[in-house]
Amino acid sequence: MGFRIKIEGGTESIELGLQSLTQVKFETDTPNDSNARSTDVGMALAISGKILTAVDGDEADATLKLANWSLVPAEKADCYRKVTVEVIAAEQVVREIYLSNAFVVDYKESYGDTEGVGTFKLLIRQKKDKNNLVEYKGGFGLQ
Amino acid sequence: MGFIVKVECASETIDLSLESIQTLEFSTDTPKDSNARSTDLGSTVKITGKILTAVDGDPADSTVKLSLWSMVPVEKADCYRKLTVDVISAGQVVRQINLPNAFVVDYQETYGDTEGVGTFSLIVKQKKDKLANIVLNGGYPAA
Repeated sequence: MGFRIKIEGGTESIELGLQSLTQVKFETDTPNDSNARSTDVGMALAISGKILTAVDGDEADATLKLANWSLVPAEKADCYRKVTVEVIAAEQVVREIYLSNAFVVDYKESYGDTEGVGTFKLLIRQKKDKNNLVEYKGGFGLQ
Repeated sequence: MGFIVKVECASETIDLSLESIQTLEFSTDTPKDSNARSTDLGSTVKITGKILTAVDGDPADSTVKLSLWSMVPVEKADCYRKLTVDVISAGQVVRQINLPNAFVVDYQETYGDTEGVGTFSLIVKQKKDKLANIVLNGGYPAA
């Protein structure tokens, strides 16, 4: 499976493609100890991928912008961004997930001296009062 | 991938190079249970590496200065230092991380009787009220 991510907000747009992303996880979470359906619903998206080195004069990948997004303070409007994730397999969009007001909970970059690429892990969440704006689609052909 | 770590303060400079550093982790962290973007943002750099033995009259590596830094009491100004880390791969600086007011959270050195080198692990954080001063860069040719 391949993944495509587009993050829009503030003054920039961050795009990461099939080469970079290795895993996407979408979670909805309510308290495990609740006796009935809870109003306390959290919607999170966990994304892992590679930090590629640009060679032969290619442009560097957009992971730097991800790292900078993770540092945007809460006082600024562009800490919330629009995130679209597409899960693609066999020319089908298996899932398209859209978070209209996503913010970064955690971001981590790891590098090692025995590897040629770094890795990143991004955990984002939809602003809780905007949960109803999350869109979930899938099962259509790739345009 | 290779790493160059530089720690600067008024009285000394600590340089650690490609030979010493093994892994690097950069993370930004907010509380996991927050419903919206939190102002409680932390930024951490974790570095692990080797403690090399000097042979043939080489100068000893500067890990001893790292351990001395980890013991500087808070009352002294030089417990906060300027940390610069370069991640280099294929002639490119993939990432340059700059924490201008970094302090040591944890420092650990490990030695064993079956190894020829020791290892260290250093966790530093940016002073929380100075988070805006963190500079992330990357995607340009290494000098």
